[in-house]
Amino acid sequence: MIEVLLVLIVTALATSVPGVFLVLRGLSMTTDAISHTILLGIVLAFFMTNDIRSPWLIIAASIIGIATVYIIELVSRTQLVRQDAAIGLVFTALFAAAIVLISKYSGNAHLDMDVVLMGEVLFAPFNRIDVFGFSIPAALWQLSIIMFVNFAFIALFYKELKLTTFDPKFAFIAGFSATLIYYALMTLVSVTAVAAFDAVGSILVINFFVAPALTAYLLVRRLSAMIWLSMLFAVWNSVIGYIIGFSYDLSIAGVTSFTALVTFMAVFIFSPDGWLNGKLRALRQKRTFTRAMILMLMNEHGHTRLTAGEITSHFNLNQKQFDNHMEHLLINDYIEKKNGQYTLTERGEEYTHYTRSKYELPI
Amino acid sequence: MMEVLTSFTFIVVAAGTMILAFAGGMVGAISVMKGQSLIGDAVGHATFPGIVLAFMLIGVKETYTLALGAVLFGIIAFLTIQMITNHSKVTLDGALALVLSSFFGLGMALMSFVQGNPDFEGTQGLNDYIFGQAAYMLRSDVYLITAASVISLFILAAFYIQIRIYIFDPVFSRTAGINNTLMNFIILIITILLISVGLKAVGAILIVNLLIAPAVIGQLWSSRFSTVLLIAGSSGAFAAFTGTYISTAGENIATGPAIILTLSFLMALSLFCAPKGIIRRNIYKRRMGGVS
Repeated sequence: MIEVLLVLIVTALATSVPGVFLVLRGLSMTTDAISHTILLGIVLAFFMTNDIRSPWLIIAASIIGIATVYIIELVSRTQLVRQDAAIGLVFTALFAAAIVLISKYSGNAHLDMDVVLMGEVLFAPFNRIDVFGFSIPAALWQLSIIMFVNFAFIALFYKELKLTTFDPKFAFIAGFSATLIYYALMTLVSVTAVAAFDAVGSILVINFFVAPALTAYLLVRRLSAMIWLSMLFAVWNSVIGYIIGFSYDLSIAGVTSFTALVTFMAVFIFSPDGWLNGKLRALRQKRTFTRAMILMLMNEHGHTRLTAGEITSHFNLNQKQFDNHMEHLLINDYIEKKNGQYTLTERGEEYTHYTRSKYELPI
Repeated sequence: MMEVLTSFTFIVVAAGTMILAFAGGMVGAISVMKGQSLIGDAVGHATFPGIVLAFMLIGVKETYTLALGAVLFGIIAFLTIQMITNHSKVTLDGALALVLSSFFGLGMALMSFVQGNPDFEGTQGLNDYIFGQAAYMLRSDVYLITAASVISLFILAAFYIQIRIYIFDPVFSRTAGINNTLMNFIILIITILLISVGLKAVGAILIVNLLIAPAVIGQLWSSRFSTVLLIAGSSGAFAAFTGTYISTAGENIATGPAIILTLSFLMALSLFCAPKGIIRRNIYKRRMGGVS
């Protein structure tokens, strides 16, 4: 069954590398649209050839994929429809056409809509071909070729892709054709999506494209690092998804996709710039700021001696917060307590000077 | 023709889809104007695990409980999207794609668990919620759709002025004392509600069209907020009627996709012929002496 895992990993690698550029260019939902509409191409080609593994399926589906991108572009360029609305309109229309065709004409043909949409990577090893005398799964062979084509494309046009992604205006001035690179990338995306559909299904393939890239995007700032890291996450998600899915007899592609979200959320919450650290930092800042402000108040005329009640009412503190702040200030010797009243020490006075210069207040 | 129009199935399905499309068109118009059209897509996909989980926990394939699960997961999905976009550099586009596909993947994993488990019976119907099976709509489904639509439209009417101000000028609305977060939440809740009850009619994947297309048609024909909403609602209802008729009269045509295709046809027609459409614009340009 190691072949199943291999198919999964190759799919994940083949999709995650172009996925980096899709994420950076804000094309994630466009790719989602493609992954839905290739169904129409598959259906049309299937009716003509009656063979689910015919290469015509890939060609027809890729053409429909490119057509989707072009139609979305055309509709949103009229400036009558927003781009996100255009995506939603175009892909649903083409997808609806595909479903009508399936329900109308494939009464006894062997085109199981569930398989096309959901995919089942477990079935991949049953369809085998001979390559150089070795019998390997057809999907593995097909996806490996596509993976190398994708890698080669990115390696060869790395400079062009980078430039058109980050500074399209400069790329235009420097004489690069952004349109050409864009359509070349989207062609590869379509071809990859079609090849991956029977392994992971046409809805989940979008997850394989964007999830590893998005996770890597949270962690690094260099493009090359992002590519390597997203490949790592792609393999990680696939292995975890395979182990869980296989041992509990669940849809492997489904589990892999959800694992990708769990991985993303873990990085999102626990990474150095993540959600948790952000919250902690805000909390710490607020605490330091309140303490500095208490000292500042004591440094003002008429407030040099403050009772506990005056401080709590002034800063709207509850008893626990008050005790916490005062304990800290007393231990650090910023203030002292005499007869139930708090006054600044010399050290505390120095600290207010430091605070004034830190927050750029007049001294 | 009369035979079709008076058949019981047709009346039930047409009533359900028309009410759904009318409310969906109106509510969807708000999301489209706010530039959040694809949130409906993400929520639609994300309801799938909710449906399977509701079925697993309660054990019956009753529309009400399944809709409840769908609403719950729609809200979870939206909150996840909002958390990701608010607290990281990931854009809405990326967050939508991630959440949409991951939740759908969870749904598939749960589905494979249910199907492989002999404790659960009658799982065939669950797949209908992905593609929609309007032909199997029951009278209770229509009641549910009607109830949800009436509630949605009532909320929309109650907050009409606030929502209108919020959409067109969020800064002003905040200074005028309108709670923007609350408005956003209200819009979202009614959108998720309509998506959840509409799943059986058009399915999780296509339902987003029912929210976007009527709104865009409305925007092409008018610039007044109230008129846009009315046109959106009516064009949705008209497409629902026509689509249901086509699918009932023709053989083996699924109702949901038929409605979507009708709506797309109307949409394409409007794109060319509407007052703000391509043809008018080109005529205007030529008259102004420009090159078109």
